[in-house]
Amino acid sequence: MSHLAYLDAGSGSLIVQAVVGGVAGVAVAAKLYWRRLVDRFRRQPTDQR
Amino acid sequence: MAISPAGLRPEPGSFRDPANRVFHDGDDVLRGLDAQAAEHWRALAGSEFFTSLLAAGKVCGTEAVEPARLAGATRWTTVLRHERIPFVSHPYEWSFTMLRDAALLHLEILRAALPAGFTTKDGSAYNLQWRGSEPVFIDVGSFEPVRDGEPWAGYRQFCQTMLYPLLLGAHLGVDFQPWLRARVDGIEADALKPLFRGLRRLSAGVPTHLHLHAAMQNRNAAATTTDVRAQLRAAGYSRELALATVRGIEKLVRRLDRPPAASHWADYQRTCGYSEQDRAGKERFVATALTGGPRPRLVLDLGANDGRYARLAARHADQVVAVEQDPAVVDTLYRALRAEGQRRILPLVMDLADPSPGGGWRGVERASFADRAAADVVLALAVVHHLAIGRNVPLAEVVAWLTDLCAPGARIVVEFVHPEDPMAQRLLANKPEGTFPDYRRAEFERLLAARCHIAGREELPSGTRTLYTAVVGG
Repeated sequence: MSHLAYLDAGSGSLIVQAVVGGVAGVAVAAKLYWRRLVDRFRRQPTDQR
Repeated sequence: MAISPAGLRPEPGSFRDPANRVFHDGDDVLRGLDAQAAEHWRALAGSEFFTSLLAAGKVCGTEAVEPARLAGATRWTTVLRHERIPFVSHPYEWSFTMLRDAALLHLEILRAALPAGFTTKDGSAYNLQWRGSEPVFIDVGSFEPVRDGEPWAGYRQFCQTMLYPLLLGAHLGVDFQPWLRARVDGIEADALKPLFRGLRRLSAGVPTHLHLHAAMQNRNAAATTTDVRAQLRAAGYSRELALATVRGIEKLVRRLDRPPAASHWADYQRTCGYSEQDRAGKERFVATALTGGPRPRLVLDLGANDGRYARLAARHADQVVAVEQDPAVVDTLYRALRAEGQRRILPLVMDLADPSPGGGWRGVERASFADRAAADVVLALAVVHHLAIGRNVPLAEVVAWLTDLCAPGARIVVEFVHPEDPMAQRLLANKPEGTFPDYRRAEFERLLAARCHIAGREELPSGTRTLYTAVVGG
């Protein structure tokens, strides 16, 4: 479904909601950041070529 | 405002969400929905949570009507009619507890919507209005099906227009009204941060909703919300988590409190020097004026203080708007009215010498007080001397302003405090002698008679105050 929200929810405002949602939320936020980190290392060799 | 040939008037404050738009058709409030919004409405109308919110009066009364009501605009496939809100007000005219109760209602609605598979597209304080002292959610177009794994899109708006103003009041004792009046989108985290340094950084809600939130916003400024939504979903963000977040915010907002401090105006009714006879005479006069004509739909009580005359007016009118400049006095009045379950009196914070201007886009998105006020009765009791002497407003201007707030044929009940009265003397003592040569009863009466028909006049037993009932255009 194409999603045309009228409001810019704000990227940071979306992530911080996970953190304020308690322990389970912090785990979600940690996982998100971990994946971003892993993705960065995976991409780096190809980026440098 | 453009008026279409059909007499339909688009609501100037309803353009931000292109999927729906509010129109006025005489007294009717209509909402046009596009094809997708119409689909969402059908799902919503069939859901149990929405029906019970409607039944409880927490969402404004809504029904589908003939799409032909918005004929000519092919964009709207479905048309809804909403209950008419007696007097539209803006969050910067509410007191602390009013904003808190409005915020709690918004969260309660979201908490009911989420398990039923719905969310709200936004989280603005402007989604709420009042029936007297009872908040009501008006933005029916805001409901949409929730997508699993997505946090609340309205959270940032909720922070900016409700949570941050409440933090200002509860933790710093700062009135939020001027902040909200100056910024239609509310207070941004970066703008509020400097006020919460040092130990204040640790106040309830501040470390996460303000400081962490601001840091996350700045750090993720380059990431699109589409990417972040996908990342959150992949990391396991669930609907239960969304619900837990809403519950957490609700718990926080419930804790935020600002007990009204004793203020100059809070003691005014007790110290303003009325004798019992004066008070009884005044109440009789006001009651006679209120009942001496067709039943008023809207009464404006200007300088309402503890709401004594607003309550009297509410016995004879559909809706009373009680305007008072001191936020603490309005908050005390609101708390009392809410406890009484009073649905006919809406208390508002506003300085009469600096009433709400038009705001937002082109200055019409949020209508000015003057544009909203079309009263059937205006009560201006013990207020003229504050404007004329306290604020140097020429007496002729005060009279012109009173008549401008009136619908055609309206009645004005106005009290003129003679210059010899102790309260007028107290105000005059702060001004250079001879500043107000025109501040005389005869001059006031002449100015009033030039614009109105004076239908009643009574001097109170103290002999230093006169009451008038004036019929506008009479």
